[in-house]
Parts: sequence; C-alpha cells; structure tokens
Amino acid sequence: MTQDAQAPIVELAGVEKRYGDGPLILDKVSFAAQRGDFITLIGPSGCGKSTILKVISGLNPVSAGRIVVDGMNPSGAVEKLAFVFQEPTLLPWRTVRRNVELPMRLHGSDEAARAGIAARSLALVGLADRMDYYPRQLSGGQKMRVSIARALSVSPKILLLDEPFGALDEMTRDHLNEELLAIRQQLAWTAFFVTHSVAEAVFLSNRIIVMSANPGRVHSEVRVDLPYPRTEETRQSPGYQKLVGDVSKTLRSVERLKR
Amino acid sequence: MPLATGVGMIAVWYAICLAMSPEQRFLLPAPHEVARAFVEKGPALWNAALNTGLGALLGFGIAVALSFVMALILSLSSLVRASLYPYLMILQMTPIIVMAPILILWVGPGLKSVTIITFLICFFPMVVNTTQGLISTDRNLVDFFRMCKATKMQEVFLLRVPSALPYFFTGLRIAGTLATIGAIVGDVFAGNSAGGQGGLGFLTIIYSAQFQIGALFATAAVSCLLGFVFVAGVIALSWLALHKWHDSFSQSDV
Repeated sequence: MTQDAQAPIVELAGVEKRYGDGPLILDKVSFAAQRGDFITLIGPSGCGKSTILKVISGLNPVSAGRIVVDGMNPSGAVEKLAFVFQEPTLLPWRTVRRNVELPMRLHGSDEAARAGIAARSLALVGLADRMDYYPRQLSGGQKMRVSIARALSVSPKILLLDEPFGALDEMTRDHLNEELLAIRQQLAWTAFFVTHSVAEAVFLSNRIIVMSANPGRVHSEVRVDLPYPRTEETRQSPGYQKLVGDVSKTLRSVERLKR
Repeated sequence: MPLATGVGMIAVWYAICLAMSPEQRFLLPAPHEVARAFVEKGPALWNAALNTGLGALLGFGIAVALSFVMALILSLSSLVRASLYPYLMILQMTPIIVMAPILILWVGPGLKSVTIITFLICFFPMVVNTTQGLISTDRNLVDFFRMCKATKMQEVFLLRVPSALPYFFTGLRIAGTLATIGAIVGDVFAGNSAGGQGGLGFLTIIYSAQFQIGALFATAAVSCLLGFVFVAGVIALSWLALHKWHDSFSQSDV
C-alpha cells in the first residue's frame, strides 16, 4: 500500500456523535492531522474532546460523518493506535514490566520479544529500575509514566492522550511534558492530546484546536510556531507567554458563548 | 495481650463456679472438669472432628468450585442474573431442617448428606460475592482491553477474574466460617453414627442425651477449633494471593 506522504494520517469529516437517544455530543467536527502533528484539543467541559479521542480510537462508532485513520476506518487501524487514559489504568496484580507487556500479550506476541520491548519502553520513561514493582508501590507520576510506556510498547503511529497529567501536581506535570516531547524526538508519532491546561497545550503542541460546547464544535485553531525541542526556557520566552494569553482569551470567549 | 484476656476469663469462670450452690454446679462445669472430659473423650472427639472436618472440606471445596462457575455464568449479563438469582435465593432460603429428610431419602444419611448440606450453606455467599467482583471491573480497564482487541476469553481470565479476587476471598472467608457450622448441623440432621462415622453433631446429641455437660463443653471447644483451622486456612490463601498487590495488605513503609 503506497500512501501519499502528504495525505493526512487522521482525517475527520463532518463527524457527529450521540449516545443512543441522548443529546448531540459532536456536531460536524472536521479537521485533519498531518504526520508528526501534536494536536491538543481544549475547551469547556462537555465539549466532547474526550469523545473525539474515543471515536478516533475506534472504541465508539460515529453517528454520522467519516473518520480515516492511516487510510483505513478506525477499527481497522487499532494496531497503529495507543491510548493513554486520564487514570493510569494499570492492572494492580501485574508488576510494572508485565503491565507494559500486556498489549503485546493480548496481541499474542512471544515472550522474549515482549520482555525486550518492555525494557526499552520503561527505559524511555526512566523507570528501568522499577520493573518488578507493583503499581501501588509507585507515585502518581510514576504510574502515569508506566501507562505511557505501555502505550509506547506497541510502537504506535498515533498516540491518543486523554488528560493524562490532569491529576498530577504542577512540577510533576511540567517534567512529564518535557519527557513526553523528548520521547517524541526519538519515536515519531502523531499525538492527539486532551487537556484543561492552556499552558500545557501551548507547551506541547504545534496545533491547538479550541472547541465550544453543547454540542461540541470546532471553534478555532491556534498554530504554535515555537521551535522544538522545547524546554524550561521555552516557558520563559515572550512568544510562549503571549500564546498562553491568546489561547486563554479565546477559551474565555468560548465559555461566554456557552452561557 | 490476648493471653491475659484468656487467663482473666478463666478466672471469672472459676469465680462463677464457686459462687454457685452445689445443686446448680452441674450447669457449668469448672475448667478442669472440661479438661478432664477432653482427655477422657479424646479419641471420640478426634474421630468426630475428622469426620466433620472431612464433610466440611468436601462441601466447602465443591461450593467454591461450583460457585465460581456459577458466578462466571451470572456475570455474563444482567438478564442472566435476573433470571437465575431468584432461584438461587430459594436454594438459600430453604431451611436445612427441611432439606435434611429429603437428602436422606435421596442419598442416604452420612458423609454424602453432610457434604451436600455444607455445600448448600457455603454456596450462596460465594456466588454473590464472586459475581459482584466479576461485574465490578474498572470500566477504564475494560475499555483498555477492548482497545487492545482482547478476546472475550482474555477479558474474562486476564482482567475480570483477577480483579474479582478480593471479592472472591471475602466470600471465601464467610463460607469458611460457615463450613464447619454447616457440617455440624448436617451431622445433627443427616449424620450416620454407624461404624464411627459420626461427627461432632452426633457427639453433641449423645452427650446432651447423657447429660455429660463437661463433654458437651469439650465438643463445643473442638468445634470452635475446627472452625479456626478453616478460617486460618482461608486467610493464609488470601494472603498468598493478594498481599503483593492489594491495598488491604499494604504496609505503611511504602
């Protein structure tokens, strides 16, 4: 299968979603992601940002419209995707290593390959020395790292992250943001990231999609042209701070729209 | 500290014995009289305890195995639960005293009946707890498994069963305390005393008929001991299965 290098890796066209007879969650959502994009979805609660990740992942079907993931429909592209949840969602009875191996185990890959990949993924998130720990022996930030290592273990082309750092303190969150970008320098994936934090959105992404709620629509898009790699210094730069201000303003106007 | 409490209780026991008039004294044998009954009836008690223990163990074991299968079936859907639960309740609510004569007719008195009665008593709490565990799996983990394209089998055995273990062991603890009680009650109603097959329930009937209060106390003590052995076994099992990962066994040094 030869794919045009310029073809979007993920494309949503007129996507609508409602659960059963419930209200419309997503209304005609359309956007496309190019390979290597880091797209953050931000917006008031109830704008359907998490739902967008769920429909891209193929976990929930769309009610109308079309999604193309790497030239396929989402349920066919499952092996190219990895999902990082809001909670670490680790299996408490499995050690860190065996948690990271789990997706490979479910796909039926052999044990030797699993061990190697798990070790590499854990090294990437800096937890190589915690392989035989159980999740309850780890801090919140460490659990989230394991969750990310687990997602990376399947070598995804597309990473879906649903507010993964929302429950962490600011220091830990900043650290993990930097680590996430550092890993992205080594492994090229396209990321869809959901957050409530404007600062996080600007720091991580090259594109921010601002959404409005009831029903969820794409309100506007902000391009973040700050160069990668981004570090602590990026946070001090005037360009970064201006963007944080701009996006906050847009977000406030969207909130007002809601009322 | 538990030792001190025990010594204190024995002292109170003696005090009550001494306070009673000689005519009343047979109502409450002094500790040394119970101890003597222990020695005198030792072989009979040991034999009865073995018989009861065997019935309890068999009934308990069968209850654990079948309740697990039943819980797996019940966890399939709420429709299955709604259609089966009422009948399980009937099984639980039928008094043993009514079941006993039926069982004696069907399988005859003795170990088989005792085992079935123990099973009937242990089965329900096991089913209820294990089913609850199987359907209480973290929603996010289920989503995660579905995203990984896990098969239904993988979802059940790699996710639902392990996450139901704490519930399973709660059921096991309840059933463990009920097992010896069940076997003794079963022995009273459907035991077979012929050829030394009688259990602790049978001894209770004999000793109470013969007015051997000391021996009755000794029988009660052996029954308790047997119950403790069972519960200790269950606690040891649950420690083995859970202590590494479950919060209920967490140490504060982490």
